[in-house]
Amino acid sequence: MKRLGKLTLVLMIVCLAAVFIAGCGGSGKKEADTKTLKVGVTNFADSLEPTENYFGWVVMRYGIGESLAKFDEKMNVQPWLAESWQISADHMTWTFKVRDGVKFSNGKPLDAAAVKASLERAFAKNKRAVTFFKYKEIKAEGQTLTILTEKPEPNMPGFLADPLFLIVDVSAEPARNFAKEGPIGTGPYMCKTFVKDKAVMVKNPYYWDGVVPYETVEIPSIDDPNTRAMALQSGEVDMAVNIAAGDIGLFNDKTKFHVDRIASLRTVLARINQQDVLGDPKVRAAFISACDRKVYNEVILKGTFIEGKAPVPPSMDYGFDQLKDPNSYNIERAKQLLAEAGWKDADGDGILEKEGKKLTVDFVVYNSRAELPIYAEAVQSDAKKVGFDVKIKTVDYNLIDKMGINGEYGLLISNITTANTGDPEIFLNWYWKTNTNGDNPQNGSGYSNPALDAKFAELSTTFDRQQRRQLIIDCQQIIMNDGAALFLGYPETNIISSTSIEGAQMYPSDYYWLTNKIKPAKK
Amino acid sequence: MGSLTKDKFLFWLYTFFVLLILGFAIFAPWLAPYDPYDAVMRQSLQAPSDEHLFGTDKLGRDCLSRIIYGARTSLMMTLSLVAVITVVGTFIGVLAGYMGGKVDTVLMRIVDMMLAFPGIVLAIAIAGMLGGNIVNAILALAAVSWTKYARLGRSLTLKLRQRDFIAAAVTSGSKPLHILWRHILPNILPTIVVTASMDIGTMIMELAGLSFLGFGAQPPTPEWGLMLNEGRQHIQTAPWLMLYPGAAILIVVTIFNLWGDSLRDIMDPQRAN
Repeated sequence: MKRLGKLTLVLMIVCLAAVFIAGCGGSGKKEADTKTLKVGVTNFADSLEPTENYFGWVVMRYGIGESLAKFDEKMNVQPWLAESWQISADHMTWTFKVRDGVKFSNGKPLDAAAVKASLERAFAKNKRAVTFFKYKEIKAEGQTLTILTEKPEPNMPGFLADPLFLIVDVSAEPARNFAKEGPIGTGPYMCKTFVKDKAVMVKNPYYWDGVVPYETVEIPSIDDPNTRAMALQSGEVDMAVNIAAGDIGLFNDKTKFHVDRIASLRTVLARINQQDVLGDPKVRAAFISACDRKVYNEVILKGTFIEGKAPVPPSMDYGFDQLKDPNSYNIERAKQLLAEAGWKDADGDGILEKEGKKLTVDFVVYNSRAELPIYAEAVQSDAKKVGFDVKIKTVDYNLIDKMGINGEYGLLISNITTANTGDPEIFLNWYWKTNTNGDNPQNGSGYSNPALDAKFAELSTTFDRQQRRQLIIDCQQIIMNDGAALFLGYPETNIISSTSIEGAQMYPSDYYWLTNKIKPAKK
Repeated sequence: MGSLTKDKFLFWLYTFFVLLILGFAIFAPWLAPYDPYDAVMRQSLQAPSDEHLFGTDKLGRDCLSRIIYGARTSLMMTLSLVAVITVVGTFIGVLAGYMGGKVDTVLMRIVDMMLAFPGIVLAIAIAGMLGGNIVNAILALAAVSWTKYARLGRSLTLKLRQRDFIAAAVTSGSKPLHILWRHILPNILPTIVVTASMDIGTMIMELAGLSFLGFGAQPPTPEWGLMLNEGRQHIQTAPWLMLYPGAAILIVVTIFNLWGDSLRDIMDPQRAN
């Protein structure tokens, strides 16, 4: 009798749980709050110090900081805190006119001296700054800022649009701890409280560019993509960034949600370590050929990604269609290449061996972007068909950067923006220029090709747009011919907002999430 | 009398179910309609149909086949884990109980130290440090679960030590090892086995939990906890990916728990009288 009772109890609990779960699904659309905006994001930053790591991105995305220039929806560089700029005849001096009437969120007016101090601060605190450009001198006079560079820098306004160079009021330090309390910037909002899981912004009373519609903006970091989608469905947040491919279909109802989907500048790629078994060009080519990228993107990811082939995505005009992928999907070729390289399946377990060593590759993956583990498992499954044993190692996002620099991987997946400066030069340099004694730390793969380095050198001093474009196409073709990385796909990116607000827009650069254009919808 | 017959009936009924589950695990290659690793990516996320009874997952693998093979993974992990902690824990406990003195003090203080940590949190920490795979998950859970058997083994041994037949064995010159093996172990074994059988359900859950968190089985292994985690991404669009592995865990854990209970009932001497 006792156990029968127990069974009944189990059944009852199951029923209760079912009812409870069903109850959670109800639509929770609440009355629009016109004083507070809630934005669901995924935040990787531990602090708001703009010069630490890539945390400047977050400072800009949250509407705290602005830079001299910005990128529009077509990735053209537009004036922002600088009104205009020009380059001297010898290509060595850039002159920026700093906008009049701009104030920091503490009321202090913005002048060239403040910009100079902020830029110098970025150079002093982050080693990445010199990978953009090196300066001889920065001069400030009234609202005029002059930068003398060591060599010609064709893309200077694009460089200064990078969030690393967002302008902060250096004189507000050390009274204010930028890392914990957020920097003093010129953006529409300023930080009230910040912890990694949740940031609260308040209106900047001195904002220069129009009305700031909300008193308070709450920005919870909801790292799990499905949870983020649910938070938006239930009305817990008014807008959310980067809803996963599989969940976009949940927001089809146009009366409730506005979906802003755009082709991003990002590439999902797997860096390939050239010091390991994949150092053999034939093995590498075989691996890439084994991956059916068309199916990953069109079927598994439901067309929210474009099939990968080259370093620079087709959303930018750098010859995507004319580039030839020598390692396009061809499973027979993959098998043949492996046989030529001397790999055989001697023990019949489906995994190839050579000189007693198994063909094993570690694939390092992180989970905060929903598509990455999906790609990884699809690659694992495809690679097994030709005899690779791919071991997926899931690590925290914060470890990825370090593992990439130290080369602690066989393959390492990344979702990278290819044109932080409006131009893919830096992206290509970072990952594929020869790394001699750590002078190009992002290239931890050991990849090196003198022909490519020569092209990079030429690119760095070329000002003509058409020539630059051709050089970038040449560089991409070399990288593809060498099988230097596995290009998996190009994501769309999105901001989905409730119809109770308007003005939420996704930009290809992915730097501007919270702006003063986002306001309560008119009734 | 009536109650005992019913106990026995239930015991055999649950044993039947347990054997059924074991059968699924052992004969998985014959029972599963598809290869659980065979990714037909063009058929990803298909809803349950005649062709795929439980639907397909994101890579187009047959969910039913993966659940059947998952029984293999889960049970193999669980049974080896329970075997390890039972043998190690009991051995240490019996040793402490029989030797007494300093050995007892040292061993039991180690047990106390282990008990001072919250079990599953420590297991997650250990598995995280060792790196996620099946063996490490078993090691991690073993490291935090053996203490229960050590305490049990010790207290049972302490009780037995006072008994006359042990004294008789000692005076007749038996060596300690012989006494432990021939006189003490057989007498404490029923209790240990019952405890172990009741632990199986819990251990299935904990191992699935570690896999769910990414510290146990790694893709593409078919394992229920891992499958739940993979299905989580599609909870709204493809709920069958969580429903069936979840149901599998629920059913198997329930059966093992009921079986453990009924085994205790028929082995309990009080009830037998």
